[in-house]
Amino acid sequence: MNRKYSAKALKEAGQGYFFMSPTLFVLLLFILGPILYAIFLSFHDVRLLGETAYNFVGFSNYERVFEDQRASIAIWNTFKYVIIVVPCQTALAIFLAATLNAGLKGEKFFRIIYFLPTLTSSAVLTLIFMWMYNREGLVNFGLETLGLPTYNFMGDPNIALAAIMIMNIWATAPFFMVIYLAALQDIPDSLYEAAELDGAGPIRKFFSITLPHIKPITSFVVIMGIIGTFQLFDQSYIFSGGSGGPDNSTLTVVLLIYQYAFKTMDTMGYAAALAFILAIVILVGTLLQRKLSKEENLY
Amino acid sequence: MMKRKLFASLSMSVLLAGGILAGCGGSDSDNGASSEASGEKTTITLAGWGGNPTEQDLLNETLADFEEKNPDIDVKLEVIADQYMDVIKTRLIGGEGPDVFYLDAFEAPALIETGVLEPLDQYVTDEFDIEDFEKPMLEAFQQDGTTFGFPKDYSTLALFYNTKLFAEAGVEVPTTWDEFREVSKALTKDGVYGFGAAPELARLYYIAESMGGKVVDDNMASFGSEEVVQALQPFIDQHNIDKTSAQPSEVGASWGGDMFGQQRAAMVIEGNWNIPYLEETFPELEYATAEVPTINGEKGTMAFTVSYVMNAASEKKEASWRLIEYLTGKEGMETWTSKGFALPTRKSVAESLGYADDELRGPIVAGAEYATVWSNGTNLPTIMNNFNNQFVSAFLGDRPLDEALKEAEEQANSEISANQ
Repeated sequence: MNRKYSAKALKEAGQGYFFMSPTLFVLLLFILGPILYAIFLSFHDVRLLGETAYNFVGFSNYERVFEDQRASIAIWNTFKYVIIVVPCQTALAIFLAATLNAGLKGEKFFRIIYFLPTLTSSAVLTLIFMWMYNREGLVNFGLETLGLPTYNFMGDPNIALAAIMIMNIWATAPFFMVIYLAALQDIPDSLYEAAELDGAGPIRKFFSITLPHIKPITSFVVIMGIIGTFQLFDQSYIFSGGSGGPDNSTLTVVLLIYQYAFKTMDTMGYAAALAFILAIVILVGTLLQRKLSKEENLY
Repeated sequence: MMKRKLFASLSMSVLLAGGILAGCGGSDSDNGASSEASGEKTTITLAGWGGNPTEQDLLNETLADFEEKNPDIDVKLEVIADQYMDVIKTRLIGGEGPDVFYLDAFEAPALIETGVLEPLDQYVTDEFDIEDFEKPMLEAFQQDGTTFGFPKDYSTLALFYNTKLFAEAGVEVPTTWDEFREVSKALTKDGVYGFGAAPELARLYYIAESMGGKVVDDNMASFGSEEVVQALQPFIDQHNIDKTSAQPSEVGASWGGDMFGQQRAAMVIEGNWNIPYLEETFPELEYATAEVPTINGEKGTMAFTVSYVMNAASEKKEASWRLIEYLTGKEGMETWTSKGFALPTRKSVAESLGYADDELRGPIVAGAEYATVWSNGTNLPTIMNNFNNQFVSAFLGDRPLDEALKEAEEQANSEISANQ
C-alpha cells in the first residue's frame, strides 16, 4: 500500500517537473546561469576580445572598488538619489491615492491622467524632460515668468542629479499610487464611521486609521522603491549621453558598471564585482527596511 | 490512460522547448550556406554607422559599382544605428563579427592590440599605392609598422563664422587666438555669444599641447602638467572672465553646429559635417569658413578619420580585401567623397575633386597638413572620459582649472594602472 502510494507520488512529481521543464530550462539558462557566471567573472581578470582569457585574481576586483574614485562618486550619487527619491515618491503616491479615494467628482478621469506617466517608456519620458529642461525650455520659461532664477539643468553639475530626481518622482509615484488606491479601498468604512462618531476629523482619521492600515503596502512600496532607485540607469544614461557627466554628477552605480563592462576594454571582471556589490547592498537595504517596519497583521 | 497523459505532456514540453530553441538557431543556417569555393556568390558583410540619407545613397552607389565589377561577390550592408562600438565588440566576442567594418581612429589602437583585426599589408599590391594616402591619417591605423586599416575619409576642424554678424560688428576674421578673443568681445551682444565652445578633449587636444605640454605621455594621462593648464587657461578665461563664449547647452542648443545655425554664436570650430548640416537645417544662414586661429604663431587643428578594417576571424578574407581595396582605392573613394560629405584621404582623389579650392571646404582641407589626429594609444578613451568630466566644472567656473585637471589626471591614471 505504502509502496504503491509513493510510486504514484513519484510519477506525479515527475509529471509535474515535466510540465515545468520548459520554464525550468529558461530559468536556468537565462537567470541562474548568468548570475553564477557573473559571480565567476567577478573573481577573474577577464579578457573577452581577441584571445579570451580568465585569470583568477581572488578578491582584487572587490578591493579595487575602494580605491576607485569614480566608484565612490557613483555610490554617493546613488545613495543621495535613493534617500531623496524613495520617501518623496512614497509620500506623493499616498497623497495622490488619498485624493482619488476621497470621492471627488471626475475621480476616474483623474485616475487615468495620473497613471499616464507610468505608461510612458522611461526613454521617451527622459527625452521629453530634456526638452523641458533645455536652457530655453518650458521649465525655465515657467521659472522666469514667476520671477525665479533659471538653471542650466543639464549642463550644471550641481543641478543635473536633482533634475533627474524630480523627473523620476513624477514618473514613478503614480504606479505606487495605484497600489495604494487598491489598499485604501480595502479599509472597511465602518472604521471611519466609528471614528466619526468619536469625533475624529479628516486629518486624525488619515493618521490613525488610513496610515496604519496601509502599512504593509507602504513596506512593499518602499522595498520596490529602493530596488528600483538603486538600479537607476536609463535616465542618467540618456541625460548625460552615457558619460555620467557633467563632472560625474549623474554617474550612478549601474551606469558605472555599464561603462566598465562595455566601454573600457578588459574590465568585465571589475564590472561584475561592482554589480555583485550592488546586489548585496540592495539586499541589505531591503532586509533592513523589513526589519524596521515589522509587518503586522491588522486583521 | 496514464500513458496517454504522459505522452501528451511529453509532446507538449518538446514543442515548447523546440519553440524556444528555434529562435536561437536561425542565424546558424545562413552562415553555413554561403560557401566561397563553389563558384557561387560569396556574401560578405560590411558594418558601419548610418549617415544622413544622401550619404547612405552614396555608399550604396559605391557598393553597387563594386558588385558590378566583382559579380562573384555580394555585399550585405549592415547599418548599426546606435552604440556602434558596443555592438561591434560584442559581436566580435561572440564570433559573429562582420567581415569588414568602420573603425574610428580614436578606438583603433585598443582594438588592434586585442588581435581581432587582420593585418592588411600582405594583401596590398603596388597598384593600390599606399603612398597616396595622407600619412598622419594612415598612421593612426598602424602599429609597429603593420597596417590594420585604410582610412576612408577624414575631416579637420575649421573656424565657421557668421558673415552677417561680423559685418554688423565691423570686425575682421581673426587669424590668431588673441585676435579671436578680441573679436569675440565685439561680437557678444543681445544673447549672441562670440564663440560657441565645445569643452571636450576631442576639440581641445591641439590647444592643450600648444605650449609644449603633453596630454598623453607613454600611454598615461599627463594633462595635469603646468604647460597644459597654461595652454587651456585662455579657453576657460574667455568663458568666465570675458563671458564671450558659451557651450551649446547654455543657450539650449544640442551641439556647436546647432548653436551656430540658430545664430546664438557668431563663431564655432567645427568640421566638414557642419556644412551639409547647415545647408539642410539653416539654408538662409550666411557664413564662411577660415583656418583655426594660430596659437603662439603655430597653426593647429584636429583631424578625425575613420577606416575600413577586416575581421581577423573572417572566413572570406580574399573577398573582404577586394571590398576594402575598392572602397579605399582611387575609384571607390572618388565616388564616396564626390559630394563632399567626407573628404578623401588620398591625395590624388583630393586633387581631382578639387576640394582644396572649394570656398567652404578649402580651410578644412588645408588643416590636414598640420592637424593632430584624434588618436593616441590604447588608453585615450579612459583619459578622455576623465578629462571631459572634470574639465566642464572648470569651464563653468566651479573650481580652478589646475585642480580639476590634476584630479582628473590622477583618476585616469589610477584607472589605467588598475587595468594592467
